Amino acid sequence: MSRRPPIPRAALTCVLALVAVAAGGASQQAPPAPTAAAPVSFDRYHTPQEIVAAVQAYAKIHLGRAAVHTIATSPAGLDVVVLEIGPDVAAKTRTSPAVLVVANAEGTVPLASEAALALADLLFNRPEMTKELTWFIVPALNPDASRRYFGKPLVADARNGSVYNDDMDDQADEDGPDDLNGDGVISQMRVKDPSGEWMPVEGDPRLLKRAEASKGEKGVYRLYTEGLDNDGDGTYNEDPAGGVDIGVTFPHLFHPFASEAGPWPGHEPETFGLMKFAVDHPEIAMAVTFGSSNFCLNPPRGGRQGSADFTAIKIPEDIAKRFGADPNRTYSMQEILDMVRPMVPAGFEINESMISSFLGLGAVVNPLEDDLKFYRELSDRYKEFLKAAKLDAKRLDPAPDKDGSFELWAYYHLGVPSFSMDFWTLPVAEEPKAEPSGITADTLEGMSSDAFLALGEDKLAAFLKEVGAPPNVSAKMLMDGVKSGRMTPKQMAGMLRQMPKPKDTSGGDPKLRALVAFSDKTFGGKGYLAWTPFTHPTLGEVEIGGAAPFADTTPPASMIAPLVTGQVPWVLQLADALPHVRILKTDVAAKGAGVYALTVWVENRGYLPFPTAMGKRDMHAPPAVATVKGAGVTLLSGLERTPIKEIGGHAAVKLQWLLQADKPATVDVTLASPTAWGDAATVRLGGAQ
Amino acid sequence: MRTRILSMVLSAAALLGASAVATAQTQPVTVPLRFDHYYTYEQIGEALRALHAAYPALTTLDVVGRSEEGREVWAMTVNNGKTGAPLSKPGVYVDGNIHGNEIQAGEVCLYLLNELLTKYGQNDQITKLVDRNAFYVIPSVNVDGRYHFFHDPNNPSSDRTMRVPRDDDRDGLVDEDPAEDLDGDGNICTMRKKDPFGQWKTDPLEPRLMVRVKAGEQGEWTILGDEGIDNDHDGKLNEDEPGYLDGNRNWGINWAPPYVQSGSGEYPFQAAVPRAIAKYVTDRPNIIMVFAFHNNGGMYLRGPSTKAEGELNPRDIAVYDVLGQNAEKILPGYHYLVSWEDLYPTYGDFTDFTDNVLGAYGFVGELFVTASETYRAPSAAAKPEAPEGGDDFMGGNAEQQRERLQFSDHVVQGELYRDWHPFKHPQFGDIEIGGWVKMSSRLPHPFMLPDLVHRNASAVLYAASQTPDVSLAVLGTDRLGAGLSRVRVRVANAGVMPTLSYATVQKKTHPLDTLKAAGPGLTVVSGGVVTDLDRNQVTYKEHRPEIQFLQVPGNGKADYQFLVSGTGTLTITYSSVKAGTRTATVAVR
Repeated sequence: MSRRPPIPRAALTCVLALVAVAAGGASQQAPPAPTAAAPVSFDRYHTPQEIVAAVQAYAKIHLGRAAVHTIATSPAGLDVVVLEIGPDVAAKTRTSPAVLVVANAEGTVPLASEAALALADLLFNRPEMTKELTWFIVPALNPDASRRYFGKPLVADARNGSVYNDDMDDQADEDGPDDLNGDGVISQMRVKDPSGEWMPVEGDPRLLKRAEASKGEKGVYRLYTEGLDNDGDGTYNEDPAGGVDIGVTFPHLFHPFASEAGPWPGHEPETFGLMKFAVDHPEIAMAVTFGSSNFCLNPPRGGRQGSADFTAIKIPEDIAKRFGADPNRTYSMQEILDMVRPMVPAGFEINESMISSFLGLGAVVNPLEDDLKFYRELSDRYKEFLKAAKLDAKRLDPAPDKDGSFELWAYYHLGVPSFSMDFWTLPVAEEPKAEPSGITADTLEGMSSDAFLALGEDKLAAFLKEVGAPPNVSAKMLMDGVKSGRMTPKQMAGMLRQMPKPKDTSGGDPKLRALVAFSDKTFGGKGYLAWTPFTHPTLGEVEIGGAAPFADTTPPASMIAPLVTGQVPWVLQLADALPHVRILKTDVAAKGAGVYALTVWVENRGYLPFPTAMGKRDMHAPPAVATVKGAGVTLLSGLERTPIKEIGGHAAVKLQWLLQADKPATVDVTLASPTAWGDAATVRLGGAQ
Repeated sequence: MRTRILSMVLSAAALLGASAVATAQTQPVTVPLRFDHYYTYEQIGEALRALHAAYPALTTLDVVGRSEEGREVWAMTVNNGKTGAPLSKPGVYVDGNIHGNEIQAGEVCLYLLNELLTKYGQNDQITKLVDRNAFYVIPSVNVDGRYHFFHDPNNPSSDRTMRVPRDDDRDGLVDEDPAEDLDGDGNICTMRKKDPFGQWKTDPLEPRLMVRVKAGEQGEWTILGDEGIDNDHDGKLNEDEPGYLDGNRNWGINWAPPYVQSGSGEYPFQAAVPRAIAKYVTDRPNIIMVFAFHNNGGMYLRGPSTKAEGELNPRDIAVYDVLGQNAEKILPGYHYLVSWEDLYPTYGDFTDFTDNVLGAYGFVGELFVTASETYRAPSAAAKPEAPEGGDDFMGGNAEQQRERLQFSDHVVQGELYRDWHPFKHPQFGDIEIGGWVKMSSRLPHPFMLPDLVHRNASAVLYAASQTPDVSLAVLGTDRLGAGLSRVRVRVANAGVMPTLSYATVQKKTHPLDTLKAAGPGLTVVSGGVVTDLDRNQVTYKEHRPEIQFLQVPGNGKADYQFLVSGTGTLTITYSSVKAGTRTATVAVR
């Protein structure tokens, strides 16, 4: 094994990224035009079929550097593919570590798939990042759900194409939403109902909020997804077409039979195919999820009850008696191992896993503190990165990680650093700080009709908003009324005095307010639809409108390029932080009589620990192995193959052997790790040093 | 109980080593099957083909899937097609040998098949079962394990797992340090070396056995471990054997990763055979009773498999109690127990899977009781299964070992034990090899096999007789007014088992049974469950009154009432995934 040239330093990538930002700012870049070398352009969203075609085109263009692997066929018959970019595409044996990038497991975040394609694009333009590192990119893990963004009616639903009887009645997939008003969008229905739990938000009656009885509020609406009770069972849209959300079907904290989860983790081919692929590739050293959560900003959540703590284990009384342990105190795993080892026959290896299962300690469910250190530090660096990229505008928080998600499985079960990125959420709605219109009941009182009309439509509209006028009352109506003489400013003043004082608009869901603001400003109102009357066959008079699907997750196509080209380069910085083992130093001390002490310091020159604390705990991460070999050399102590299970980030471990060589000899020291590269050195025993 | 369990846990974990006296016989397999020997993997295939050839109308032989090494996994369905398709009847699923070394579980399955087929039409009870139930039987689940257990050197516990390669010792190499049959006798026995500082000495009462030295005593022997060499020169012996994925820890319900529990596999259904069987059983949702046979301890275990899952629904426990207590009586020395509490917790095991995914009742049958290997005067006290304070944490107790050795000497002519004999070990020098052979310790000697397979098959047959047995009857029709009639029907169940386990009804994880009323010219105006027939109490269903959702409790009934307008023939259809379909018609005038 030869010494490998070092991979690009983190610092270099960082500089490059900063240079890119300085040269115009990623967020202001025009979408790159499609070229022969780039099969996709980031000026629109791509269907799952187009995504597969794009990665196949990439593989064709970059023959020998890229390849496509199909890991599953979805229930609807779509391929789930992995785009591999790296040095081992044509190799028989894999030698380089890999980063696994998984996009859009939930299938409702088309932007995530675009980001995955953008990452591929970036990598093809950065050959130094693929020379000694393999990238496995799954651009669309849930193609069945992803299709919905491109279909009619538009509906955001993470279910894949399998058939699932959600309501456990006598039929499956029989009661999904229906586009009743034919606008091509599945939105919401609100129905006046004395037992409803929703009420309009003061100040913007388009918005609804849950009535709080403690504040004396009373609900007036029931809220439904737009649709019929197709199966006539009294509930609406409770069994839509489709099966489960691939984004919650992985084994860590999986909830069996929960809505959209299915009976067991990996029941669906997409999930199973990805788990198999990940486990069959032990070189995977890091996982990055593009979707809804963001571990780059916020570390994986903790605080769950019942996490197995290997530092403080209580031993049940009946077992403690056999072990000679005290049931009233806690033990570390190491102490228990030491306690049990003498009790088992020679040659029988007791390990943590046996103790863990014997005592029923269960799984780790909170991120380990040692890992949170790098999550926090990298989060600080990420925020700096966003600032430099001018993508740090205040936005709604990313979604929290979901139980059963890929990103949690990667952290807890694969035992690799697992990061996730969400790329976009709605900008936080600015509280309306409109100039007060200066109009009050008092000023209206003495105002002439001409003076009233001279105020103009804008100022009157602002006034109407201030007083919380119903949405059907427009400035134009008032002006027409005054113009025609049907109404005078004085009459209006009287009406105004009778109206309740407008309340603060707070109380509504900030997410909805953000949606409405963004919809009005950027989506031309299409993100939050006006409530329009509709006669429903079973609910009677309803209004259809409200939040439009995807408006809160999927920005207009014009924003794709700046968002993904600005943020995707962060992934390269993460990759630069991978653990990377090398031989730092060797030392040979002659002890006389042909005996030599060989000392080898093995360094992890990467920022991230080898492996993560969780990787160490879950025993999934393969060890690095130091091998010592030489003709005419005998090992007096130490192993020919020494597994190294742990080296902290930027830390080193010392290995020692006692060797015997009657004549001067050469010893080859090699260091190999599937996930952290390797190294080699040669040392001489005896003779001229 | 816990004490016994403890030694069981760790002896079950003692999976090092391997061994091999081929005890398989060579005559062709004929029907009726014989149970005076063990069947190799290949002979199980022959036996199933022979049964199918002899009873083509009553059997179907399927290949469920293939193992890691490409061996076929066979399932035999016993069903009388004249009384309906298998899916229309309560399904009884029985398998064995998910642990490759636990071979007699396969013989129980073969015996059950043999009984069902050879006694059909001869024995009334069995005839009724074959007519009323569908039996699905997979005699050997871990086919690779069974194959290697017979053909390779092993100890009684080795070749348990599925052959999914795993780096057990985490040294970067996979399956590189198995046990070796150094003396070539087909067994992986134990290696010991003379050592005055060792922890063991010759048993003063039985020179072929060893006991631990006590304080103040001089040692005599060091036990080196199972027969083998340190192939990877890491100072550890036989620590990375082929495979290590426990077939009974890799199922998708309540699965936990390997750091929580050894042998889980890296993800649910990583192993090919559990994956294939998961499909096989979910394609047969009529299965309501499951038996999975293993081989150590004399137990019938019910769920839950972990404490965290919480106790089962009390009404399901009542069903288990009937079946389990009956099994205890059929099987002297066996105990009906709760899996996590009385044995040990397991994640991702098979019966937890079938309990949850099929809504079935499941038992793990642990087949063998050490106490059955007797050599004792009638006046002597029965030997304890695993008395408190045994000499050795792992290996049971010396008294038990002595009796087993006497049993071996006098009852089976020394076949269970290999005397210590010298061996020149490449790493340890002069050592001795000896101890219990492969076909011992957890396997009844073939002469005891007929009793074991018969009694356990009887426990299955009784459980099959208690699967739901549903009848549908019209209780009456009453004319309530012009063009309106009331029809009352009763669905009754003569089995102990409900038509769907109480837990699945409670958790709403499975569609319920349906009861539909329809007929030309008739409209079901209203309908609902009769909660008290005598007091005329009815709970109406607001929507879709023509279809009612229900479960019929064990040894119970469900009464329903439909208000029907019009005149004509009303057809009532009860339809259950597990209990089949029943129809009744009534004239409405």
